[in-house]
Amino acid sequence: MAILNLLFEHRDVEGIGNIDVWEANGGYEGVRKAAALEPQVIVDEIKTSGLRGRGGAGFPTWIKWNGLPKNYDAPHYVLCNADEGEPGTFKDRELILKIPHLLIEGMILAGFATYSKVGYVYIRGEYVEPAWQLRKAIDQAYAKGYLGKNILGTGRDFDIYIHMGAGSYECGEESALMSSLMGERGNPRLKFPHAPLPTVAGVWQAPTLINNVETYCAAAWIIKHSGEEYAKYGTEKSKGTKIMSVSGHVARTGNYEIEMGTPLMELLNMAGGVKDGVLKAVIPGGSSVQIMRPEQCEKINLDYESCGANGTLLGSGGFMVFNDKTDIVQLMRRTSQFYMHESCGKCTPCREGTRWLFKILDRIASGNGQKGDVELLLDVCSQIDGRSYCGLGDAAAWPIVGAIKAFRSEFDYWIEHKRSPIGNTFVPPVVEAVNPVLALTSV
Amino acid sequence: MSDRSLTQTEVSLNPLSSERVNITIDGISLSVPKGENVIEAALNAGIDIPYFCYHPRLSKGDAANCRMCLVEVASTAPDGSVRKMPKPQTACTLPAAEGMIIDTNTEKINKDRKGVLEFLLINHPLDCPVCDRGGECPLQNNTLYYGASASRFTEEKRHYPKAYPLSAQVVLDRERCIQCARCTRFTDDISGDAQLGLLKRGSDVEVGTFAHTSFNSKFSGNVIELCPVGALTSRTYRFKSRPWDLMTQKSICSKCSNGCNIKLDYRMDEVLRVNARLNEDVNEEWTCDRGKFGHDYISSPDRLKSPLMRKDGKFVEVSWHQAYSLLADKLRAAGTNCGAIAGGRTTNESVYLLQKLFREILGSNNLDCRLDSNPLPASDPLFKKSLQTGMGNKIADLEKMKTIMVIGSDLQDEQPILFLRVRKAWRFKGAKVVYVSDHLTTDSTAVSDFASVNLIYQPGSEITVLKDLENALARVLSANTADSEPPAQLNTQPSEATGLSNNDIHLAASLLAKGEITIIAGKSVSQHSQYVELYQSLTNLLASTNSEGNLNIPVHECNSLGTMDMGMLPGSGPGFTKCAGGMGTAEMLQASADGNLQVLWVMGADPVQNFHNNELAVRGIENCPFLVVSELTLTETAKRADLVLPAVSIAEQEGTFTSCEGRVQKLFKAFEPVGSSKPDWLIVAELSAILGAKNLYFTFNDVLQSISKEVPGYEKINPGTIGDQGIFRTVPAAG
Repeated sequence: MAILNLLFEHRDVEGIGNIDVWEANGGYEGVRKAAALEPQVIVDEIKTSGLRGRGGAGFPTWIKWNGLPKNYDAPHYVLCNADEGEPGTFKDRELILKIPHLLIEGMILAGFATYSKVGYVYIRGEYVEPAWQLRKAIDQAYAKGYLGKNILGTGRDFDIYIHMGAGSYECGEESALMSSLMGERGNPRLKFPHAPLPTVAGVWQAPTLINNVETYCAAAWIIKHSGEEYAKYGTEKSKGTKIMSVSGHVARTGNYEIEMGTPLMELLNMAGGVKDGVLKAVIPGGSSVQIMRPEQCEKINLDYESCGANGTLLGSGGFMVFNDKTDIVQLMRRTSQFYMHESCGKCTPCREGTRWLFKILDRIASGNGQKGDVELLLDVCSQIDGRSYCGLGDAAAWPIVGAIKAFRSEFDYWIEHKRSPIGNTFVPPVVEAVNPVLALTSV
Repeated sequence: MSDRSLTQTEVSLNPLSSERVNITIDGISLSVPKGENVIEAALNAGIDIPYFCYHPRLSKGDAANCRMCLVEVASTAPDGSVRKMPKPQTACTLPAAEGMIIDTNTEKINKDRKGVLEFLLINHPLDCPVCDRGGECPLQNNTLYYGASASRFTEEKRHYPKAYPLSAQVVLDRERCIQCARCTRFTDDISGDAQLGLLKRGSDVEVGTFAHTSFNSKFSGNVIELCPVGALTSRTYRFKSRPWDLMTQKSICSKCSNGCNIKLDYRMDEVLRVNARLNEDVNEEWTCDRGKFGHDYISSPDRLKSPLMRKDGKFVEVSWHQAYSLLADKLRAAGTNCGAIAGGRTTNESVYLLQKLFREILGSNNLDCRLDSNPLPASDPLFKKSLQTGMGNKIADLEKMKTIMVIGSDLQDEQPILFLRVRKAWRFKGAKVVYVSDHLTTDSTAVSDFASVNLIYQPGSEITVLKDLENALARVLSANTADSEPPAQLNTQPSEATGLSNNDIHLAASLLAKGEITIIAGKSVSQHSQYVELYQSLTNLLASTNSEGNLNIPVHECNSLGTMDMGMLPGSGPGFTKCAGGMGTAEMLQASADGNLQVLWVMGADPVQNFHNNELAVRGIENCPFLVVSELTLTETAKRADLVLPAVSIAEQEGTFTSCEGRVQKLFKAFEPVGSSKPDWLIVAELSAILGAKNLYFTFNDVLQSISKEVPGYEKINPGTIGDQGIFRTVPAAG
């Protein structure tokens, strides 16, 4: 178990973003292969591989692919979620920037497998460079006949469009992404069982497949090689590889593609170990998941099951490392500020709760904490978690509950002594998001 | 625009399944239609689930945001095993499925409700003691039932400047808002102007209009009633009263012919606000802004309080005795040489007695109620046929139609409630709409916004347009292809005569060919000089699609239909029965201008302002030897009268109105008449008695019973049957 570059195999080849270089390195073989296959064979291959969604939830990919109606009677859509907004995660950025053709391949295959003719890539608005890179790659793929009408003489059509987001974390939530793509406000939509699954009625009420960038890339690899080969890697229930975006107090930050089940500490060592101090905590899967203490880190293997068993999540792979000079309370204050700012405001618990959480944490971190604040935080979190319209509320509550569970003493220290247990007393100024835009005439 | 429909599955869009499923709510086994919202199933069964954002008439796609209706849900697998869903679910969007087990009253749910209410209140100003909503506020009620007694929030609340003027009528308080999105959904789903939206995000979300323009809607008042807190308030009612200080009386709106059921909220003899009253068959629970904000005349200080007699060119107040003596003398002297004009806003009872007085006691047949230019004489059989029927469909049945054609009408303005039904048919029931008019309006919402085909023709070419449409329909029907692809040979160039291309006409015709259609015709048709031809064309269209009888030519004033039913027409007695002819409005005014009409009685009408031929009206009114006007205020006509009798408004009398669809509805008396004013029917009844009438009427019920006996079509209508939702008068079969 170590670094295993499947998707990143050709990452460092000179000019790999160019379709000629890509083809010289075995690019589009998967598409050529799939052109001769029945759609169901592609789905079965994904099933064999055991691939699970790489966006965070880990839902078995083949079930989604299998869920769309198997005919061309009505339009179907293939959506790629490239609205990578989870703090700590930057794997999609590198995938699109360095090897955009892998994503295009994956989406073409998904189009074949799900009888879709149109694909949309929803890229977050800040990813201007990757979007340009993808634009170039798509144009090249059109020129070579991998996209457009009658691909490789199969009679199948597939077009890919790029849609740039406008800077909202919430739009990375799949239903909010669909709202945004349709030109509506980026609010989440009703989900099963309140409304049909996206595979039945998604964008424009048409069957829709939506996956993460990494999932499509892995699918492309799987079809090029084989599902069985992919399934050789990883653990029993978590197959293949996962790209971990390592950041924080480590010597060598960056994206590491590792085999599923790699011990957490091994990844930390690969990244050169903790910088400027000793290990204090790790957030293994992006800011929404629970923070882990060093002794917990020893036990965790990076796969869905092991993370779950230890009370955290593999999430989107935003692996953040903190050394002993980190103030956990201030970390949580900043985290909750992020969720307050990014809440769409649709549902009560998330809209009001995230602001309240930030207000309490801000009060504690500016030396005005009161006895009982920690219990209040936990209670507010319990009123948000599972009660909100979409997952953003949960994501705002989990890290705080996790931090209190793991570092309760630091919260108590702040409240009792009105200063940081670390000795660092700098508190960044509060940025209040309130700036009413309506004309302020009173009557 | 026309393709814009719901993007999330709608219960109301897909009619409830006939399949029943068994669900259990709080241990009570229920059999409900498959897919019914759990909250509706529970409320129907008498199980209370609190909510804010849910509303049965608004789409559920944007609901489920207040999280108040969370319930615990478990499902039963076919093998009998029960699986509980890990998270609580919103009952307002959850479709009922076989074996669903729902708990609404567990410890967990009670804690969740407390939590949601705590969240809603942390930024709410809690200014209930000065809030308009206090006392009738869902947030207050739910907090009392389900909320915690104290808040743990010690931070500073969100602050906004108070009283942001969304429009001239609606004022927004963003601090009180709980972001339930009912108002924004109303403008999307019901009124269609789509002006309100949520701005910004997170805890900064606020209701507003794009670019801070004025909330310019014909239905804006409804959002005040929809708001579950006091965030949207009425400019006129703001800070005027507390709900428990108000008395409420049922009434009928007098602003158009649709017959909306309303509630008058009044204190002493002042109407403070008007709210909608539920009537599923008429206005559901909506009002238009004219109805909601237009009843300030009831409590106007300009109301007449006693009879006025002209002496030496000036009005002096006189007693009713003097007024009656003078009027009786004048009428006796005039003999048959007198006439009466009643407006469309007078009650059936007043008009009935007025025509009885003139026909039976005075022997005059000079009666009319029409101020519009009307191309047909009242004696014409087509006039009777088209007006007595008025609307071929009931308002509630409009939403069942597959294709609706609206011709020559700014429907949102002329018939606001019909407009809402047509829009409902389109948005929630999948109807297609064809709009035919000579102009597009600049109103914020209009039929043209959602019509599948807009035929905007050159003014004056109505006849040609309808003939073209008839021919196209015949072609489509004979080809037996109702597809929307026009044949290739049709040219897409607009024709010079009508301004419409064959292509557009074909599209409209193929929609009409698809199924049962209904036609709603507006003023441009009913006042057209070639009304007969237009009427014939429209009937032909209906006949060729097997939709005979679905022609709707609604009248325009709240009791236009009733006044005509009561016989306020020359040559047409009660129930459109034939009787001796007399002079109509125009002839009376002409005769009066020439000095040939001794007494003219104008009741509840203002010919000087409203008669289509203004010059004639002024001449007729000014030259009239003796003009008596019964009115609420000194109108332009009343100012020129010799005797003015103070009448009463809808709030001060009992009476009945017949709406454009023929529904007879009752006005209830809220408070005593202002000053010494009297209901019109009482004035006529007392004068009739002075003039020697044999039948005497002392109460409203006496008159209604007499109408029931003597007016064909009103047989079933009497004080015992009319109820507070009204009943239909019947139209006798042809003849």
